[in-house]
Amino acid sequence: MKYYLKLGFVLLIFCAGASGILAYVNSLTTPIIAARKAQDEINAREKLIPGAIFEERESADGDSYFIARDESEQIIGFVFIAAENGYSSKIQTMVGIDADFDIIGIEILDQGETPGLGANCLNESFSAQFAQKDALGLKVDKDDGEIVALSGATITSRTIVNSVRTRANSLKAELETGGEQ
Amino acid sequence: MGYLGEIFVMAMTAIFIQNFVLSRFLGLCPYLGVSKKLDSALGMGLAVIFVMTLASAFTFLMNRYLLMPYNMEYLQTIAFILIIAALVQFVEMVVQKNAPALYNALGVYLPLITTNCAVLGVAILNTSLFRSDGVTPYTFLDSTLNGFFSGVGFTVVLLAMAGIRMRLEKSELPKSMRGMPIALILAGIMALAFYGFVGFKI
Amino acid sequence: MNFFKELTRGIIKENPIFVIVLGMCPTLAVTTSVENALGMGLAATFVLICSNIMISLIKDVTPASIRIPVYIVVIAAFVSIVDMMMAAYLPALHKSLGLFIPLIAVNCIILGRAEAYASKNNVVMSIADAIGMGLGFTLSLSVVASIREIIGAGTWLNMRVTPASYDPMLIAILAPGAFITLGFLMAIMSMIKEKK
Repeated sequence: MKYYLKLGFVLLIFCAGASGILAYVNSLTTPIIAARKAQDEINAREKLIPGAIFEERESADGDSYFIARDESEQIIGFVFIAAENGYSSKIQTMVGIDADFDIIGIEILDQGETPGLGANCLNESFSAQFAQKDALGLKVDKDDGEIVALSGATITSRTIVNSVRTRANSLKAELETGGEQ
Repeated sequence: MGYLGEIFVMAMTAIFIQNFVLSRFLGLCPYLGVSKKLDSALGMGLAVIFVMTLASAFTFLMNRYLLMPYNMEYLQTIAFILIIAALVQFVEMVVQKNAPALYNALGVYLPLITTNCAVLGVAILNTSLFRSDGVTPYTFLDSTLNGFFSGVGFTVVLLAMAGIRMRLEKSELPKSMRGMPIALILAGIMALAFYGFVGFKI
Repeated sequence: MNFFKELTRGIIKENPIFVIVLGMCPTLAVTTSVENALGMGLAATFVLICSNIMISLIKDVTPASIRIPVYIVVIAAFVSIVDMMMAAYLPALHKSLGLFIPLIAVNCIILGRAEAYASKNNVVMSIADAIGMGLGFTLSLSVVASIREIIGAGTWLNMRVTPASYDPMLIAILAPGAFITLGFLMAIMSMIKEKK
């Protein structure tokens, strides 16, 4: 019996030691990860609408979006993040639109799709298609839209396109009802 | 879609569309190592189904009620591994004592399962999966069922592989192809066949 | 002398992937690009070195009957550290390796070396063994990944190496290509061995 207690004790010490070290490393890395993520978003915003002054707004459904203004306080566009589950991961797309809801550009922030297929959504040739398109009626070619889907990755393409369209429409509704104040 | 539909989607996804072995690359060591004979493949498969189901259930409880409330997700890997190791040990003891026949069939495979990445894989995957609506995270029952179906998916391809390899024994192969190389190429062709299911999103 | 013998053993004679056939899952899953393969290989090497050092240090204080759980705890702790560090400093790589970082913890190579080598030898030798095995693992991953990336994407380490007229055979970086590439590589290995 005493022997087994000793075994349990040794194991306990190792587990406690390991947890302690991990807690310490976690406390070191968590702020770095958070800071990097925030910085990435700032960079992506800056890339989509260069030189604008961004103001964060909370919409009624809890999502936030940014209003982009130029130096003379004139609204030149909006930036929001559209997120939806794709084929094998949650895809987060940052979208910049102008005041008429035409897309300025998109930036995939986060994805974990199949390499060689869905992961090609990071390619410039895919995201470049979005420029100047109307965000409110955005569709992939399989749904009679304008965006040519990635070959072999219709689900990924459709997810991105649909999530952008849905968020754009809800943003528009939001602005029409509550944006006046 | 009712809950039955949800279960159907989960089963089809785990067994065919995102098969653990052929599409997610998990559990390859037993897949290549224990697929030489049909009956040992069956034993291994059943043991994996059993442990994966239990492991999914226990790790879900651990994650939801112990790690998440206290923001200790960074202990996930270590906690899950320990649960699985303890579980395998415990199952082995219980089975040995109460069901000697079952122990004779599964006994040798149980210890191997501790380091089977498919078990840890399903436990970690369960924490990040969603139902088909894309919003609701997996519940306790969902996770357990997903563990079960993933195990079934593993067993299906393991049995298929064992069946093919048994026939292969009798065929004339170039010497350098025998054993592991031809098994891998076979697995590749099977993966190709299973790729036909990719893109089905029910 | 002996140190170097231990070091090179893992790279060629006892190469963990091609000769002992361990650690298959990451070999097939993360070799879609050379970048991923190197990332995975180095992460596993780091864990292997740390766990080998730790285990050869504690081998005398751990009771034999619970050594495996203790090893598992040690390995899992180092894996979690690598996981968090990568998330902080190499987020893109962390994302593309994904699930396979925590799964280093159940990679048979690491527990295998702990049990077969580090628990019986001193620290210096264990480090040599870990470096050798780790480099052998990294090297094998890179070979598989190079073939798959060049055929499947026409690039090597994200640099274009094939002429523009070459249309990449996508199959090589998809799941079936992984199995077939490794199968042929192993056949070649055993052919070379037979010739000797």
